[in-house]
Amino acid sequence: MPAAARTTSPASAASTAVLHRALVNVVVMASLFCVIVGSAFLIRYWRAKAEDPLKSPQAIALKDRLRNEPRNEQLKQQIRELDLALRRQYFRHLAFSHTGGWLLVGGLAVLILSGRQAARLRAQPPLPALKTDAEKRAARTAALARWAVAGVALATGAGFLALSLSAKSTLPDRPQDLAKSLAKLSGEGGPDLADLPKPAEFRANWPRFLGPDGNACVTNFTLPTEINLTNGTGVAWKTAVPLLGFGSPIVWSNQVFLSGATMTNRAVFCFDAATGALVWQRPVTNVPGSPAQPLEIPDSTGYAAPTMATDGRRVFAWFGNGDLAAFTLAGAPVWAKSLGVPKNMYGHATSLACWQGRLIVQFDQGEPEEGKSRLYALDSASGRVLWQKSRPVGASWATPIVADAAGKPQIITLGGKWVIAYAAKDGTELWRFQGLNGEVTPSPIFAAGLVFVISPSDQLFAIRPDGFGDVTKTHQAWASDENVPDITSPVSDGELVFTAASSGLATCFDTKDGKKLWEQDLESEINASPVLAAGRLIVITKKGTLIVAAAAREFKLIAKAELRENVLASPALVANHLFVRTTKSLICLGAKAGTLEVKR
Amino acid sequence: MKRRAHTFLVGLWTWLAAAGVAGAEQRFPPPDFESGYQLPVTQTPAPRAEWLQYFDVLVLLIALGLACHLILRKRSRAGVVGLSLFSLLYFGFYREGCICAIGSVQNVALALFDRSYALPVTVLVFCLVPIVFSLVVGRAFCAAVCPHGALQDLVLLKPVKVPAWLEHALGVLPYLYLGAGVMFAATGSAFLICRYDPFVPLFRLSGSVLMLTTGAAFVVLGMFVGRPYCRFVCPYGALLRLGALVARWRVRVTPDFCTQCQLCEHSCPFGAMREPTAPAANPAAQSADRRRLGWLLLLLPVLIAAGAWLGGKLSVPLSRLDPNVALAEKFLDPRKAAPLPGVQTPQSLALGRAEDNPKELLAAAAAARQKFAAASWLFGGWVGLVIGVKLIGLSLRVARTDFEPDRGACFGCARCFSFCPNERVRLGLQPAPANLPAPAAVAATAASVPPAKPA
Repeated sequence: MPAAARTTSPASAASTAVLHRALVNVVVMASLFCVIVGSAFLIRYWRAKAEDPLKSPQAIALKDRLRNEPRNEQLKQQIRELDLALRRQYFRHLAFSHTGGWLLVGGLAVLILSGRQAARLRAQPPLPALKTDAEKRAARTAALARWAVAGVALATGAGFLALSLSAKSTLPDRPQDLAKSLAKLSGEGGPDLADLPKPAEFRANWPRFLGPDGNACVTNFTLPTEINLTNGTGVAWKTAVPLLGFGSPIVWSNQVFLSGATMTNRAVFCFDAATGALVWQRPVTNVPGSPAQPLEIPDSTGYAAPTMATDGRRVFAWFGNGDLAAFTLAGAPVWAKSLGVPKNMYGHATSLACWQGRLIVQFDQGEPEEGKSRLYALDSASGRVLWQKSRPVGASWATPIVADAAGKPQIITLGGKWVIAYAAKDGTELWRFQGLNGEVTPSPIFAAGLVFVISPSDQLFAIRPDGFGDVTKTHQAWASDENVPDITSPVSDGELVFTAASSGLATCFDTKDGKKLWEQDLESEINASPVLAAGRLIVITKKGTLIVAAAAREFKLIAKAELRENVLASPALVANHLFVRTTKSLICLGAKAGTLEVKR
Repeated sequence: MKRRAHTFLVGLWTWLAAAGVAGAEQRFPPPDFESGYQLPVTQTPAPRAEWLQYFDVLVLLIALGLACHLILRKRSRAGVVGLSLFSLLYFGFYREGCICAIGSVQNVALALFDRSYALPVTVLVFCLVPIVFSLVVGRAFCAAVCPHGALQDLVLLKPVKVPAWLEHALGVLPYLYLGAGVMFAATGSAFLICRYDPFVPLFRLSGSVLMLTTGAAFVVLGMFVGRPYCRFVCPYGALLRLGALVARWRVRVTPDFCTQCQLCEHSCPFGAMREPTAPAANPAAQSADRRRLGWLLLLLPVLIAAGAWLGGKLSVPLSRLDPNVALAEKFLDPRKAAPLPGVQTPQSLALGRAEDNPKELLAAAAAARQKFAAASWLFGGWVGLVIGVKLIGLSLRVARTDFEPDRGACFGCARCFSFCPNERVRLGLQPAPANLPAPAAVAATAASVPPAKPA
């Protein structure tokens, strides 16, 4: 029963009024307190959004700056200090919120208690009027309620209809249509090719390891008649490379691209092909899925052994820890992902390839029975996987080629004991050839209608690429076991095949029958694959001796030059300029600055 | 015999304690930091030892028993308020709204449809016990054990009467919400009721701004509208309401005969009091009522079919709450942004994982979509059923001789007792009129009354 009903005497009424006034004051104060605390809460919340350690514009700006200045220790320290300050601020905010929350609860409790007491003091005892028409009112209420329920039903139905209008989905309704979605995703229509360069432009550049088609042969090329690093004769420029890497240079238009890495740093570098100036460098950090702990990789392979590739619009770099990153030619990040840490005891070295907007990634690792090896085709614009195929091989080091062989584009891969060709469009396996042994490092080439592959220190095979299934017994054109290299890839002008073993032994074979035509001991260790330039065979030894010989049926030494730095990467040949990555520098041999002109 | 029982009890206790300790141990212990760094708790509320979970069950059982005693035997509003305060502090602020009977419905629904889901016994008990109580004694859980209800009940300052017709209309919403919650849980997609619980963020003093604001809005609204969440939203309350309809014992305002003073109707802030109505005297009116009832009975299957048809159209948008479907749609979206180097968001990381195994993701998403194709159809049918049954219920005439609380709507808050003159007589707060029976006789008849019969 309300308290007011029990108070009768004037003294009691006066004391009730005083108490009521006091309670109302408490209510007002508690309300004000709650409003102030609540406002502080909201203000603090909006401010805290800006102080989020992950979203702070200041921190993001500094980190962006660090991308361009990866060695700026002062900047790193500044970022660390800012990060610490932001985190402290954030945790202060959390503590503030917690305390504020309890204050609000306390304020609300006081408000409610005093409010209820005040309401009780002023409550009038109820005096309900006599109601006589209960049935009528009940009927009216029921009628109104039925209409109201009907209204709720209509509103619900309308809501359902409106919601069903947003029923369009990229996910198919029927499970059997999933295959179509996956096929669509894997580029049945194919990536957008309209934006990609024409094939002639590819041929005029050096977009991947060992040239446009992976057979390092150019027909229109003039070498400088004299090369002398001491006085600069025949040297367009020489520039230092900021980070070590054994990947070879690639060239597009007037830009040369290299990747470099250490255990903790990975970066992509772009040099001006005409002057050697470093145009941009970008660190590859915070790649999604990248291993948190640094990997141990043998120095002989290093952390940036794979050669980059370009589709003419973007450049792609793959590192020893599995990080894969794409940048525009101007250096803007496009996408980055990790396909997983390569399980490879010597370190990962397979290079990338591009074909019609697809980035071809041969990711062989572990042992064959582990089933970890894959061949991926990624959309070069977005990095999404268009298709992937499991490979029955363990770790390998050879780079795939994409060749228009037997009337269809084929991705030819080496690994384990198999040469396997896949349809470039959808990854369907076309044929396989068994004959490889050991740790497969030399890459395949396609010339004179044949695929030439090397089983390291074992055999050089010529295979006809027009078969299906296992072609081991049916499509071998010839094989030779003479002076077979273990690291370097062969090169061919269509008539002759040249090899250069790491022992220094160069050999020439006839493409028709595999007959050895000549061999020559170059008397120096060789790690870089040889290249052919308009009838000249160019071999660069590990110690940096550039040897030019005639690409002919008889060996004839034409020239020698000393680069005076160790060379493990294969050179790139573009527009009469030869780009060589040494262990320290990038050297451009050819005419001086300003004369480099890449045909399009 | 006694010794055996003692040994058994000691053994049981030791086993429970050991199991509790084992359950509390982390499977992968965190590293020891030399710098003194303390790993923050990443789960809210923090993982609880198993015996403490059973302790929660014990607290629930005691609180429910006490609630029944306070409402039906003691008829004490002060006791109910005290117990509400305890429940608010224990189940609300101390247990941070978890474990919670309201959300446990979803665990049970998931366990029924997914055999791989292991339903914790404590969750099952939290779900079933209040329902069993409601079948026997009405909504004792809502009265003083549920922290959500306790919070709303305690903040009620100046109740505004919601018109009865609106109360009826809004009263169907909890059933629709229950259907949606069960559907999402059964498909293994989301615990909708927990995700959009407005009070749990208040108990935890943290949460999304949207839910904190919604919680605050419910508290402010609750100052003027009695228990708005319980009456118009709470899906578990909807279940208890159904249980309370058949309860053996229930709240009775007057300990003896009703004086028809209407004070109890005035006292109820939840619109749960029903006034006496006589059976229809006019046969013509009855005939119209029967015709309406007949039409509505015929309409019921139509409503169910229409609801099912409409619900079937919702399978695509509803399935988007399933994480696999949402991720697959993003993954298949040709306009999705490519992952960039830099700080990764959970979304970009999820997309990266999807890239690794798109077939698995799409298969899981398609399976979820298939589940929703059936579930949304059933949900639509449920909506039609709820609307139809409510319309039929509103067309039934119930005759009452006394003022009495609606069996389903009464929360058992015990407010009305002290307003009843007969109760005040029983308590000795006012003298009994000469024509009233003695207080002792009144107390003896205060326990239960038979249910009202439909006309």
